[in-house]
Amino acid sequence: MSLDRHLSDSRDHALAFEQQINLTVLGLGAAVRHIVIAVYARGHVLLEGAVGVGKTTLLRAVAQGLGGDFQRIEGTIDLMPADLLYYTYLANDGRPAVEPGPLLKYGDTLATFFFNEINRARPQVHALLLRAMAERSIHAFNRDYALPHIQVFADRNRVEKEETFELPAAAKDRFMMEINITMPSDNASLEQLMFNPRFHDTDALIAEIAPGTRYYELNSLAHTLQQQIQASPKLRDYALTLWKASHQPQHYGVQLSDVDMAQLMLAGASPRGMSYLIRAAKVSAWLAQRDYLLPEDIQAVFAVCMSHRLFLNPMYAYRKDQLLPELMNGILQQVAAP
Amino acid sequence: MRILFVLFLFVLGCSSSVDEPIRYFKVETPRPFGYVNGDEISQRIIFETRPGISLERASLPGKGPLNRWLNLNDIRVSQADDQHYQIDLRYQIFYAPLEVKALTLPSFELQLNQGEQHLSQTVPAWTFTLSPLRELVVRQTEQGEYMRPDSPPPLLNTRPALYGLLASVVTALALAVALAWQYGYLAFNGRRRLFKKALRTVSGISKNEMATGLQALHHCLNTLNGQPLFVHQLADFYQRHPHYQALHAQWLWFFNYSNRFYFSPGMTVVSGDIQQLKTLCQLARSIERGSR
Repeated sequence: MSLDRHLSDSRDHALAFEQQINLTVLGLGAAVRHIVIAVYARGHVLLEGAVGVGKTTLLRAVAQGLGGDFQRIEGTIDLMPADLLYYTYLANDGRPAVEPGPLLKYGDTLATFFFNEINRARPQVHALLLRAMAERSIHAFNRDYALPHIQVFADRNRVEKEETFELPAAAKDRFMMEINITMPSDNASLEQLMFNPRFHDTDALIAEIAPGTRYYELNSLAHTLQQQIQASPKLRDYALTLWKASHQPQHYGVQLSDVDMAQLMLAGASPRGMSYLIRAAKVSAWLAQRDYLLPEDIQAVFAVCMSHRLFLNPMYAYRKDQLLPELMNGILQQVAAP
Repeated sequence: MRILFVLFLFVLGCSSSVDEPIRYFKVETPRPFGYVNGDEISQRIIFETRPGISLERASLPGKGPLNRWLNLNDIRVSQADDQHYQIDLRYQIFYAPLEVKALTLPSFELQLNQGEQHLSQTVPAWTFTLSPLRELVVRQTEQGEYMRPDSPPPLLNTRPALYGLLASVVTALALAVALAWQYGYLAFNGRRRLFKKALRTVSGISKNEMATGLQALHHCLNTLNGQPLFVHQLADFYQRHPHYQALHAQWLWFFNYSNRFYFSPGMTVVSGDIQQLKTLCQLARSIERGSR
């Protein structure tokens, strides 16, 4: 099979995969598109949203569509790193026994790992997870376990602040995207979710999803895809300007109300962040049946790839939720291409 | 015998009145005295002709000097119908007599036509007396100069004319400014000259300079939009500049073409593309001028 044909068939699978997830969780089209992009760009995702809006259903649907194993763990304040690796119990014969924990249980078939309320877990747990995310391997029982296909989805509870540990900048930076999952706004979807019995039984709903691209194909497909989608010199200039603008927005004409722009930024996007941005943009271009990047591709993923990487000066941090979207919108609106 | 004679006289009388070419003729003149140098004298001639007879207008005296001291200022012929004529003449005298003097308006002949035949009617001369303006010898009196200049003529009121002139000048200036605005000649009116400049740039480009042309048009749109304009923001752009929505298809072509030109590998420019870009610039320019 030629390379183009392979990419084209895989794109059809990806679009069908997206369509099936959209049938499973209603009214989350934009979030689903971002998750599909993250899956095919092999990036970890930070989810944000209220309770009960369908985050777990969404992730189970993704896991079902990709095949492979799905594991989930709830973040609690007493969760220790070892709890991710193993658990101990007394066996029937009365002797202590050790079994692999959620991360090790399925080994290299673990495809989707959902860490619920990650900010309730201690920094030690974050550190372990970050290694698993960055290196796709983990050290336990005196040896390294490879987790080549793992993709981590973490949910951040933003309602309660008590007994939570804010993710450090380095941890956030390892996530490709932060996706906001909001409740559907149209009445038709809300009515369906309330009254259609199909949405009441999550297991049956998930079982409807037919597998498309297999999880073990994703790494090589992502590699090929990243090689094939081209970025022209003009586009590279555009991305570079965006990057610079994320550090010094005031030099690019970005102006926010009641903000001294020279004081606003503490840190802009990291090189890893920009690399993630381009990887995600390439997947967006591929889904749009192009073999070259357009500014629209970058714009489509800019907010989700950047919002958790930009750090504001502490005096503006309390207005973060208002300022960050305005800042990103301002950067996109002020930087011209070409 | 007496009866026959009376009948004869009657028939003779009737035939005579029937044969007269002019049934009625009268010259109305004003008083024949008390005129001084420069006075105008009006004369009216009223006459009625037989049917079929018409006045030969060429026989009337022409306007202008008739002799050394007499000028015919105006002559008007009016007709109530084919037979009734009224001729108004207005003479002016230029004669300074030393004492009261009788002068005569000359007589002239009115020519009348009846088919091939020519008839004439004499307008008689009219005599009147003309008086001197002053005594022969200028005398000095205690009351001052006997001869004194004319009182200066009253000045015409020029104020309405001045106001009219000012209003015209202001209107003309306003129209000139409006036209300059329309044609984008005003230097501070940058937003009305955007596509004009772009058109100038695009008009001179060759296939190798496509980037210059695209850049010029992008610059126009970005400036007009107040910030960089991307294809997915066109709807917002139309809300602020609704006139440009008429070119929606052409803008889509432009953005897609620009995307392919700048971002896709292996793009080749053909001369038709430049022509299309020029046409788009011209259309946008006509919208900018308000002529579309």
